[in-house]
Amino acid sequence: MTSGAARYFAMAQKELLELVRSFKLLWVPLVFVLLGIMQPVSMYYMPLILEKAGNMPVGSVIEIPMPLGAEVLAQTLQQFGTLGLLVLVLAGMGTVSAERNSGAAALILVKPVSSFSYIASKWTSLLLLAWGSLTAGYLSSWYYTSLLIGEVDASRVLGSLLVYGLWLSFALALTLLFSTLLRSPAAAAFSALGASAALSLLAGVFPKQAGWLPGSLSGFAYQIASSGSAGSDRFGWSLACTAAAIAGSLLLAGQSLKRSASVD
Amino acid sequence: MSVPLLEVNGLSKTFGSVQAVGGIDFLICEGRCVALLGPNGAGKTTTIRIIAGLLKQSAGTVGFVDGDHVGTGGNRAMIGYLPQAPSFYNWMTGLEYVVYAGRLCGLPRSHAVSRAKELLERVGLNAAAKRRIGSYSGGMKQRLGLAQALVHRPKLLVLDEPVSALDPIGRREVLELLQELKRETTVLFSTHVLPDAEELCDDVIIINKGAIALQGNIAEIRSRYRQPVIELELERDEPSLKWADAFAERHRSGTNVSSQTAGLIYDVSRQGASVRFSVTEVDAAREQLLGELAAEKVRVSRLQVGYTSLEDLFMKVVSL
Ligand SMILES: Nc1ncnc2c1ncn2[C@@H]1O[C@H](COP(=O)(O)OP(=O)(O)O)[C@@H](O)[C@H]1O
Ligand SMILES: [Mg+2]
Repeated sequence: MTSGAARYFAMAQKELLELVRSFKLLWVPLVFVLLGIMQPVSMYYMPLILEKAGNMPVGSVIEIPMPLGAEVLAQTLQQFGTLGLLVLVLAGMGTVSAERNSGAAALILVKPVSSFSYIASKWTSLLLLAWGSLTAGYLSSWYYTSLLIGEVDASRVLGSLLVYGLWLSFALALTLLFSTLLRSPAAAAFSALGASAALSLLAGVFPKQAGWLPGSLSGFAYQIASSGSAGSDRFGWSLACTAAAIAGSLLLAGQSLKRSASVD
Repeated sequence: MSVPLLEVNGLSKTFGSVQAVGGIDFLICEGRCVALLGPNGAGKTTTIRIIAGLLKQSAGTVGFVDGDHVGTGGNRAMIGYLPQAPSFYNWMTGLEYVVYAGRLCGLPRSHAVSRAKELLERVGLNAAAKRRIGSYSGGMKQRLGLAQALVHRPKLLVLDEPVSALDPIGRREVLELLQELKRETTVLFSTHVLPDAEELCDDVIIINKGAIALQGNIAEIRSRYRQPVIELELERDEPSLKWADAFAERHRSGTNVSSQTAGLIYDVSRQGASVRFSVTEVDAAREQLLGELAAEKVRVSRLQVGYTSLEDLFMKVVSL
């Protein structure tokens, strides 16, 4: 193992330990699991809830068609895209700036470590948090959906999980970048959420022109979950574009940390 | 005998319109303990952070000397750094932190563990090694900071105000530890109090407002700038105090009655009822003064002849 890799592993190990000790590795997946379970359960009980709560005239028959299992999974992903993304970004917003502001980064970055390894170790822990939470939440949703509503193909679940995971990874790469560029964690969260929302909106409004942007990934994931295929020739482009954007964000973060007038 | 280790050349740093450090040069030789001494805001922290590579200078160079060659930029593997108020990961234990620091410096895990245990023992933290850093006192954190800075056996230990924030007991502990450490490695530390510098250092660099006011071997400076002084203690009566002020005024305006006095005494300062005369020749000045004191009927309670201390010199160069 080269010394650079050994240092990266040491830092990544520290990041994972921090995820555990700060209980982030517990409560973030818990939020996703709750969101994941809530969707099929609330769909299942919707008629009952309406009957109890609504001021329906006595004797009126409520006809709400039970949605397909695949649709419930797509709705779950939409939940992850709002509350889930918010929680992930909040968990990651101070990942670099908090250490720089407290002075802990000064003691680390003064050692013979590269700023890229430092950023890579932060990225590793964010990836683990995002994919772990998403997988836990989505699988719980799948389980309850097949129990209460209907079976969904494993291939659809896996496909949409991977595409959606890439979208969350992209949002977290932005969070990491802004956390390096900006000293305020709140400003970093705001910028990352704003940029993700703007990209999603762009892809929603101009599906033809902006379909190859990362913002269209969440839409493709819903498509895959509900219909089994992304249904667009821009899907491949948007995968490639997102991967490139993630790599670019990480390199930019490392470079800006290295170049900044005051490293700590 | 003295091998140069680190060379700082024309170093300056401006923050916006504030010039924190304005073109300083110095050389640190191997095995020396060097104090960077100056009042608050002098530019000590800025200088140290540039040397540690945490801050980019506006101009000038910092480099390790290797034979005839001076490197450019700090070499992180050669420096052990401890900031003014170190901040660790409070959720880690002291042992975990030093092991982590060792691994970041390239030690394999098992080496890092044994080195960390050795260092924590050394700084007197082995009983607290398995406790969370969040529960450490200020003195313990400072000693942990020393342990993590030493983990890779740096050639130069750079410490920013290592004892300034500590209570008297913590201060004593850290000073004693530094006394030992300076025998093993080259040390550069900053301080704003002269006694700390006098207690530890071989060489001193006095900086004020971002510029070097004075530098050199501390014993040499002490003897070179040693000046005779005559101190008068007056009774606190009106005429005597008036006389002192008048004398000082005449001295300043260069209209001293006796032209001889003007040459013998080059500085007069009064603080409360005590007056200090910095003189060139003790005997002649004393004679002059006694004559005037008798003639003016000044009530002297004590007259003492002595020498300026390093403290006087320090106060003088930093009040310019
Ligand atoms: N980040 C900064 N931005 C603006 N001014 C600064 C900054 N850091 C230090 N200064 C200014 O530079 C001068 C020197 O500061 P510093 O090096 O911290 O002094 P010292 O450590 O000797 O007390 C001070 O006037 C301080 O206000
Ligand atoms: Mg300072």
